Amino acid sequence: MSMPQTAPLLSVRDLTIRFKTDEGLITAVENVSFDIAPGEVLGLVGESGSGKSVTAKSLMQLNGRNTAYDPASRITLQVPDKPPLEVLSLKRERDMIQVRGGAISMIFQEPMASFAPAITIGDQMVEQLLLHTDMDKRRAKRHSIDMLDRVGIKDPDKRIDQYAFELSGGMRQRAMIAMALSTGPKLLIADEPTTALDVTIQAQVIDLMKDLVAEFGMGILFITHDLGVIAQTADRVAVMYLGRILESGPVRDVIRHPAHAYTQGLINALPKLDDLDAPLTPIPGDIPSPLERPSGCVFHTRNPNHVPGSRYEREVPPMTEVSPGHFAALFPEDVPVRA
Amino acid sequence: MSRPLITVDDVSIHFPLGRSLFGTPPVLKAVDHVSLQIEKGSFFGLVGESGSGKTTLGRAMLRAAPISGGTITYDDGEVAYDVGDIGKRQLRDYRSRAQLIFQDPYAALSPRMTVRDIIAEPLEVMGLTSSREETDERVREIAAKCRLNLEHLRRFPHAFSGGQRQRISIARALVCGPKFVVADEAVAALDVSIQADILNLLKSLQRDLDLTFLFISHDLSVVAHVCDHVAVMYHGKIMEQAPTRQLFANPTHDYTRCLLSAIPSIDPDEKLSARVYEPES
Amino acid sequence: MTTTTEPSAGLTAPQGKAEKARDRAKEAYFTASQGQLVRARFRKNRTAMVAACVLFVLILAGFFAPFLSPYDPTIAGRDKGYLNGAPQMPMFCDHNGCSARPFLHGVKMELDMATLRRTPVVDIETRRYIQFWVQGWQYSYLAFEVDLPGETFDMKWDGITFSTHVFGIDDGFVHLFGTDGEGKDLFSRTLHAIWTSMAVGTLSVLIAFVLALIIGGISGYFGGWIDSVIQMITDAIRTVPAIPLFMAISAILFEYAPSMTAETRFFVIASILGLIGWPTLARRIRTHLLAERSQEYVLAAQLCGASASHVIRRHLLPSFTSYIIVDLVISFPYMVLSETALSFIGLGLKDPVNSLGVMLKNVSEADVLMNYQWEAIPAVFFVVLVLAFVFVGDGLRDAADPYGDKR
Repeated sequence: MSMPQTAPLLSVRDLTIRFKTDEGLITAVENVSFDIAPGEVLGLVGESGSGKSVTAKSLMQLNGRNTAYDPASRITLQVPDKPPLEVLSLKRERDMIQVRGGAISMIFQEPMASFAPAITIGDQMVEQLLLHTDMDKRRAKRHSIDMLDRVGIKDPDKRIDQYAFELSGGMRQRAMIAMALSTGPKLLIADEPTTALDVTIQAQVIDLMKDLVAEFGMGILFITHDLGVIAQTADRVAVMYLGRILESGPVRDVIRHPAHAYTQGLINALPKLDDLDAPLTPIPGDIPSPLERPSGCVFHTRNPNHVPGSRYEREVPPMTEVSPGHFAALFPEDVPVRA
Repeated sequence: MSRPLITVDDVSIHFPLGRSLFGTPPVLKAVDHVSLQIEKGSFFGLVGESGSGKTTLGRAMLRAAPISGGTITYDDGEVAYDVGDIGKRQLRDYRSRAQLIFQDPYAALSPRMTVRDIIAEPLEVMGLTSSREETDERVREIAAKCRLNLEHLRRFPHAFSGGQRQRISIARALVCGPKFVVADEAVAALDVSIQADILNLLKSLQRDLDLTFLFISHDLSVVAHVCDHVAVMYHGKIMEQAPTRQLFANPTHDYTRCLLSAIPSIDPDEKLSARVYEPES
Repeated sequence: MTTTTEPSAGLTAPQGKAEKARDRAKEAYFTASQGQLVRARFRKNRTAMVAACVLFVLILAGFFAPFLSPYDPTIAGRDKGYLNGAPQMPMFCDHNGCSARPFLHGVKMELDMATLRRTPVVDIETRRYIQFWVQGWQYSYLAFEVDLPGETFDMKWDGITFSTHVFGIDDGFVHLFGTDGEGKDLFSRTLHAIWTSMAVGTLSVLIAFVLALIIGGISGYFGGWIDSVIQMITDAIRTVPAIPLFMAISAILFEYAPSMTAETRFFVIASILGLIGWPTLARRIRTHLLAERSQEYVLAAQLCGASASHVIRRHLLPSFTSYIIVDLVISFPYMVLSETALSFIGLGLKDPVNSLGVMLKNVSEADVLMNYQWEAIPAVFFVVLVLAFVFVGDGLRDAADPYGDKR
């Protein structure tokens, strides 16, 4: 896609993920491709069942044992001054260590989940540093305190000896970010990092993440269902629905001129504070169950403009460029013309 | 100005924090000297962050939380109750007049009952219908109003998606013909594309059935769109209450302004400039 | 249907049929109750299904033990001429040719001059043929007898008596698993022992369960100080070590009532096991009730004015049945194990009664272990029985989790 100047840090090509379940093979992600450049924030937006979290987990091979990756799927991690790494070809846990917690770190929606309840925050951060870097214990501890300070935790030398449950929700989220960044990852995966937070704390975490990108220059894959959060954090955005990317491009362009009916629907469904009289327009229908993925364009069953019998029912529309760097899953004749 | 359906007068709700042998145990002041009035036929919004006491206050109005001080009165013209001090028989009647819609459409429906049985349960418990046919008739009527497919009434909840489940919970809350409905974060667990649908449904039900809603939410933009009067809660106290338009156009309390400033705009160029609220004390 | 619509219906049939079948399958899933879903999930678990089949066969074998076993398992059915005899495998061919009917060679007791013991010797020239559907010793189902002091309450019913057995032999005895030191047929004893052990298990699980349901139910539903007090008592009982307690109780009982009949002993053992086994079950029931009580749908029911009895009947009990069944099946093997352990150390059932524990006790003698290893065959059945219960219990537990594969 775009960003031709620098080689992408992460390149995902034709990622297709299926789960073996009792009901049969469920396609969770289908033909997903995207790049993330160093220092770039890619927002991945989608509702439940869109496959956004599954996609993120696949970058570190964190999906369960019943996961089947399509042989054509490629996830290439290109850390500068190192040979490119095919993440999906790593089979042993031992090899995965270069990716998990090394080149890639992840933060989650629920920070309690990433802290062991019976170990202090400091011990956990130090342990991780000893595992992934050549720091000794004292330096690791000093570095951890620096990181806690960096994410805006007051009295970091006291906090470091506390347990995660002793911190408030916002502080916990900051501590998790500090831990994720302490090993100096090249790519940070943030899976709904602000969803469980109150708006005022969410705003602080968003500010913090923007500062950290400016300072550390790592790439971020920011996953959320909230278009507002994406608009405030991401450089580029990819909109997912039922396992497919339906639209992707620079965040300004996608939000101001959405080309795909789904993106338009998402934006129209959002209640807006600056126009209280605007009616709320839901996207008609319900999200189909993953067992009943529609054929052709996955969105055609809910598209209000869908013409019954059109080729969207049978053929998967290609990613067509609607403006420089901005792609949408439409047949070329349906690309909206801009005034 | 129409008369208030619910009058909350100087209500406090305290929960003891642990037990202490000597002296009074420390208390959590979940709701602290709150007064408000909910007009009949209004869509009253109660906004606040987690721990602000909004859910506790809403539950107290349904007599599902203890009231430590003050009074809550309900008066729909036919009957009037002091909610904090209500007899057993009166409570039965009050339950049919005031109902709750839950946040989590998964937890609020028993996985072991069919949709028909779930919706019919209030009727059966309260003995509002005299025959199974009458119950079925009422269930079908309300299910149709909530835009549920009548053929799906035989199904169990596991067959439904989040939005449909929320419609089932709404139908269940409304089947006994209540006048007052507390919707506690009724759309918070739903996807954006579904959320608007449920909000529109609540609005149209309010008009058709002449309901009064207390809409509890953490999401200011949702409240701004559906409510006609808004109260903002913070740490058990009401910071500000006003008609929606007035509150959003001209917030007088600093906390409201901080809350508004923290909402991320969908416009990437409208930069977030959140302020942290510091209570003067 | 009119004739004009038939051709078009025929044209669209292939696609329509497949679609209809899929729709029907979908609707069946959507309208499936929790019980049906649990059953469907259980059926997909192969280990549990195999275990369930094994269990079913064992239960059938236990129930039809008198019919399946050729001889009375007590001393009345002993084979005096074949003490500590090896298993006999019916054969179809020998050096004299083959026959369609399986047969055994004759057995004679001869004095072994080296050991001076009388040992059975096989006479390969004689043939004894296996017969099916033979008449033999009498047994009855549904017989019961109440024998209280005084005569007013005495009741006796002989039940339905049969004497047909599935197989037997022309002349003498057939012992598929061999015989023990008294000449009792081990095959017959094993089948009866399975039934006895399961009966003790069932009875003690039921006793434990009724206690647990009442005590755990009160504790979990009312909570508060009632819960605290009951939990204290439960914990106190849980701290009592089981084996010494068993020993003490049986010692007292058998000291003061040495003339107990086999049946009374059986009930006493089952009751002891039940009285000791309830705390764990009660605690599980309480925990489950507490969790279920705070579910939102329970609050929803209470908010429309539902009484405690409605909540219990409509919400708590149904959510409970699956857990109860699972708990019962899981605790069952422990009861069987306890009975076996008790009988094994000589405090439980005693020899004339056939339980797996009693039979295992016999094998512990050095002489038997060295010379008559076939007497350990009941041990195999014991292991299989316990394992089958454990696997079925695990399978049920996995299947019963209402949202096991969702969320």
